[in-house]
Amino acid sequence: MFPANIDDYVRPESVEEALAAVAKYDEGESVFLAGGQSLMQAIKSRIVRPRCIVDLQNVDKLRGIDQTSGLTIGAMARYVEIAECKTLPPAYAALNDAACHVGDRQVRNRGTIGGSICWNYVASCMPAVVLALNGTITLASSKASIREMDAQDFLLGPFETAREDNEILLSISWPSPPASTGSAYKKWGLVTDSLPVVGICVNVTLDPEGVCIAARVAVAGLADGAQLSVPGAEAIVGSDGSGDSITAAMATVAGSVETHTDHWADAEYRDQLICSVGAEVTATAFRRAHG
Amino acid sequence: MKTINIKINGSMYTETVPVRMLLVDFVRETIGLTGTHVGCTYEGVCGACTIHLDGEAVKSCLMLAIQADGHEITTVEGLANNSEQTPLQTAFNEQHGLQCGFCTPGILMNMTEFLAKNPNPTDEEIRQGLIGNLCRCTGYVHIVNAVREAAKIIG
Repeated sequence: MFPANIDDYVRPESVEEALAAVAKYDEGESVFLAGGQSLMQAIKSRIVRPRCIVDLQNVDKLRGIDQTSGLTIGAMARYVEIAECKTLPPAYAALNDAACHVGDRQVRNRGTIGGSICWNYVASCMPAVVLALNGTITLASSKASIREMDAQDFLLGPFETAREDNEILLSISWPSPPASTGSAYKKWGLVTDSLPVVGICVNVTLDPEGVCIAARVAVAGLADGAQLSVPGAEAIVGSDGSGDSITAAMATVAGSVETHTDHWADAEYRDQLICSVGAEVTATAFRRAHG
Repeated sequence: MKTINIKINGSMYTETVPVRMLLVDFVRETIGLTGTHVGCTYEGVCGACTIHLDGEAVKSCLMLAIQADGHEITTVEGLANNSEQTPLQTAFNEQHGLQCGFCTPGILMNMTEFLAKNPNPTDEEIRQGLIGNLCRCTGYVHIVNAVREAAKIIG
């Protein structure tokens, strides 16, 4: 585990400088480095062999959590910042849930939300949360060229996103949430806070009677990476959060995604995990939506 | 090769290093501070290489040395003040918080920052805080005891 030779390292101060630095090399020869908690592993095992590393640590524009209008999380916001952000509304509490249990303290001190969703590891928490919360992804390829897209259009599959090599992820953002909205995320792994064998994120909006009128559900830990479950979300709509209705909805979630067998868990067990962890997560989301 | 400036335990070091040099190797091989350990094969799983980067616990095998250019690092050698142990170090001694001691530097660095942020932790919080540090001797009971005792003194 030691990197192959790396020709150059630059530490730009702005998005424009970062884009210019990457453009100096052929496609794939230079990489943006955020927290490095995944990418450095790939560089050390030489799966990724960049000629140049463009370290984003000094790009102020990518930092921070801004709640002046809705919620905007900079690509370089670290897990520790998201985990310790106590002012997120219940609608976005799933971000807290996930960030608190990614890796360990040391990893959370360095790892970033932007790095996580750009890496889009097959078993990771943030892609599922961003999918279920329907985040808007903002990418820049130059000062004049900025594009926005929904998370589901950005996250294409394991290790694949819609980001081009010459594009930089600026932020993930959300509007002010509708009233009576709550979200929650939980994962299950073989050891505490390990990568998710199964993770599930649920986001519900309730009417004044406490009946769900809108929902989104995403599952992490699948062979295809994090996936939305549209049938699962439809099954939650109309529920008042009672145990029976949630149990039925979670069976629909499990039936709607393709679970796989690996050395951590077989497909049937993953289905069961989706039902049991999902029921707990859904109950938490309903409780948060009630306020 | 790039020239980097890093303050380690209060002293400024200027060294010319290859871009691909890992921070843990810089600390151990270039500077010669071998208290920072490598317990896994640089995979970021054992936590023995934990140091403070600008006061925060991070794994030095998951960083290039050049990423720390312009920053301040504390290693386990920088904890004691003129050979006077910190309360956490004393607690590890008194509570027998180590056996072989290989993982101890990383745990001390992680738990020093942990206690600074959370001076009155529950046992559950201590155990959660220790997830990133592997110890294969103690079963963690004495480590948790040591952190709890240190918290009583610090808090």
